[in-house]
Amino acid sequence: MMRVLEGSQAVAEAARLARVKVVSAYPITPQTHIVEELAKFCSDGSLDGRFICVESEHSAMASVIGAASGGVRTFTASSSHGLALMHEMLHWASAARLPIVMAEVNRALGPGWNLWMDQTDSLAQRDTGWIQLYCEDGQEALDSTLQAYRLAELVNLPVMVVLDAFFLSHTYEPVDEPSQEEVDRFLPPFEPKFRLDVADPYVLGEVAPPYIYMEMRRSIQSAMESALCLLPEVEEEFAGIFGRRHGLVDAYRCEDAEIVLAMAGTAASTARILVDELRAAGRRVGLLRIRLFRPFPAQAIRAALGPARKLAVLDRNCSFGAGGIFAQEIRAALCGHAGPAVYSYVAGLGGRDITVESLRGVYEATRDRPEPPTESVWVGLREEILCE
Amino acid sequence: MSGLRSARVSLLLPRSHSLTDANKTGSWSFIQPRYGDKTAPCGEACPCAEDIPRLESLAARGLYAEALRAVLEENPFPATCGRVCFHPCEARCNRAELDGAVAINALERFLSDAARDAEAPSLAGSGASGSGAGKRVAVLGGGPAGLSAAYFLARLGFSCELLEAAPELGGLLRYGIPAYRLPPEALDRDIERITRLGIAARTGARVDASFLAREAAGYDAVVVACGKSRPERLALPGAELAGDALAFLAAARADSAPSLAGKRVAVIGGGNGAVDAARTALRLGASATILYRRRREDMPAFADELRGALDEGVSLRELRAPASLARRGDGSILLAAEPMRLAGIGPDGRGRVERTGSPAEELAFDAVYAAIGAAPDEAWAIPASSLKLGRCAIDLAGSPPRAYLGDLASASLPALAESVADAIGSGKEAAIALDALFSKGPGRVEAEVERSRVGGGPSVSLGAYLGGERGRRSRRVVAYADLNPDYLERRERELGPELSPAEAARGFAELRAPLSPSSAIAQAERCFSCGLCNDCDNCRTYCPEVAVRLSGGRRAVDTDYCKGCGICVTECPRSAMSMEEPVS
Repeated sequence: MMRVLEGSQAVAEAARLARVKVVSAYPITPQTHIVEELAKFCSDGSLDGRFICVESEHSAMASVIGAASGGVRTFTASSSHGLALMHEMLHWASAARLPIVMAEVNRALGPGWNLWMDQTDSLAQRDTGWIQLYCEDGQEALDSTLQAYRLAELVNLPVMVVLDAFFLSHTYEPVDEPSQEEVDRFLPPFEPKFRLDVADPYVLGEVAPPYIYMEMRRSIQSAMESALCLLPEVEEEFAGIFGRRHGLVDAYRCEDAEIVLAMAGTAASTARILVDELRAAGRRVGLLRIRLFRPFPAQAIRAALGPARKLAVLDRNCSFGAGGIFAQEIRAALCGHAGPAVYSYVAGLGGRDITVESLRGVYEATRDRPEPPTESVWVGLREEILCE
Repeated sequence: MSGLRSARVSLLLPRSHSLTDANKTGSWSFIQPRYGDKTAPCGEACPCAEDIPRLESLAARGLYAEALRAVLEENPFPATCGRVCFHPCEARCNRAELDGAVAINALERFLSDAARDAEAPSLAGSGASGSGAGKRVAVLGGGPAGLSAAYFLARLGFSCELLEAAPELGGLLRYGIPAYRLPPEALDRDIERITRLGIAARTGARVDASFLAREAAGYDAVVVACGKSRPERLALPGAELAGDALAFLAAARADSAPSLAGKRVAVIGGGNGAVDAARTALRLGASATILYRRRREDMPAFADELRGALDEGVSLRELRAPASLARRGDGSILLAAEPMRLAGIGPDGRGRVERTGSPAEELAFDAVYAAIGAAPDEAWAIPASSLKLGRCAIDLAGSPPRAYLGDLASASLPALAESVADAIGSGKEAAIALDALFSKGPGRVEAEVERSRVGGGPSVSLGAYLGGERGRRSRRVVAYADLNPDYLERRERELGPELSPAEAARGFAELRAPLSPSSAIAQAERCFSCGLCNDCDNCRTYCPEVAVRLSGGRRAVDTDYCKGCGICVTECPRSAMSMEEPVS
């Protein structure tokens, strides 16, 4: 059924349709709408689940870790400093192989205090063993949340569904909300591969001495590799029921493109406008939207780029001392393969708008410069402030 | 879908059926929590050493009879003290730092009324240590000190004979405190409870020092609790024109006071007796003036009492020293009052005054009463060799041994306050001292009394003396800073509704109505239970190692698994736990 939903509502509806049993979260802008909605569902009975109130995000993650260890489907959501506070527990969730799903609304970290869009928070959790899916719109946020449960429970790894602050979390769009019956067909009841059981007590997360620890780590890496293979199959099943697929990456008019713009999140919607404009003017330009970040879809990226000579990567983040993170990851994926030169741009930090015009500037700079600079280029900087 | 179902994904997890019990993580700790109740400041301050946090906690649960019994363990006068005690407990209540002291005094009164019918079972013999059996004690004086001594001695198994000069028991409580502060019915209830313990009381039996010489040999011990019943006389020209305020109060209690309608009455003095006399005169129709030679803030009377008197219309002339009284032709009395001025502050913090030299002010009254203190009626010579305890002196070498109580001993015990509660505490201390004397011998008396003290103050607890739980509490007094402020929520202090000053001045009705049952519970719930575990269970709830075990209603730290993180101690709202080095 088509409904006009806020991005946050789309995620909350998906969690409801997934029949989660335990939700635990601590409010933080711009994530709060998601868990407010779920709290309402728990209280009005439209979701047969329990909302555990906690005093911090660390405890929120600890609560869902406990619940998931007991073998139930769980959900949480966070953002920015809240996610940073969860960091220790994020490692635990993945190494404990718990299929937790979390909505993560990309927001900048302070100081300066900033509530707006920025990818640094989720990318800083790159190595925690969580699968990460970046969404472009409300529909995808809903679909990705449903797919996240399917995937998480197949590979026993947690999944982070990432949404842009405000641009997605607070924007109302038409969303096709599936029926419960359809969702039940796609997402069967959770059958945990292990769970704590008072009738057969045992301890999870025991001491793992050197003779076994490395194998356990390797098992996580293997599961990540499995996720890379299984997400397309999950999407296949999803498409069979709902008629939609989103891909590991989303290549738009890339087939014969010479210059490709790459990015994640809602900026891709803006880039589509520019690509269409330039295509209409006869330019061979394409867009590569990265949806899956962990595991990193290197093969899919290489396949999508085809004959492109230049790739302009737009990062709404910066790893200080190294530059845009997506650019680094893509460069590494292309290393040793024939592929385009990677131009790295840092743009739109802390909620600054990425417009068609700013993207046109990125396109033209890439077109006009024969070789990429070694450093990331910062887009639209107010140099006069920096010079003072 | 079946393809996905059969997907093989690596899953290698550490899992152990042997449980972590084998890993005794408690062995790593170098410091561990201990349960240890401490002393609440209110209980230390109470001259009767009532176990206030405990009785508040019982009252909060609606267990009025149990709460009253907890009071009666240490104080046989709940109905009386719940009305007239100057409640030093509240002055020390930690709650005062947050939102006002717990209404301990009002709650004591509530309990004495509410649990009247369901009263605690008789406490006779409840403290029998064996030493008292067969021993006869004469208690001279049926005021609060003597009645208290008899009560505790009887509970310790002594057989008591109580001799009182007045026609009824109660002493100052009966004859000196007006009915609007202490209705006779409330006092009678307390006294009946005491005499029910089997005390042989003889009223109208005046005793003097010769009694000891004549009759003492018939007893194993004598308790001298005659108090100060002889009023001090004014020393000034015309002093004989001034009546005695105590006698006036006694007449008012007996409804035999003259009508004072339209009369001008002066009361000379600054103590509670002066204030009581002025308010009583007011109630009998007079206009009343208190004359005091020092400043208002130097008056020994309780500030609340004075404020009540002034609200009702009593006048206060401070810094006025009466110089002479003279009868005038119209029958009225001319009082010459010399103006005084402050001449420094004495070591007791009260102002010292001197004459200003200005001419005396001449004031006309129809009656003048002196309330300038009292002295023992009889020169009871307390031997210098007596053992001086906190609130009484014991002549261990006397034949038989004798205890001098309360007001009587105050000259040799300068720290002793002259209040009802102090008198009661004095009787209890003497009872403990005599019991210790007979059971442990004279050399142990001081140590046994010392062992029974609460906190660092002079008050003694019978419960502690008898080896009860009270005696095992740490003497450390819990301060506000020892409490966990996260658990301290603001909640208003409430007392029973008060009569308006105009209503109050019309008669001898009690000034304040009692707390309602719901208010009483709400007020009892305000008690932080400083230093005393009240089963809040925070320690067990917050222990991250699940190392606090609850069994049979008692909590214990499982030292095999306690790592000594101290969270339980931090989360204990009331300082009933502390971290200590493990004792091997």
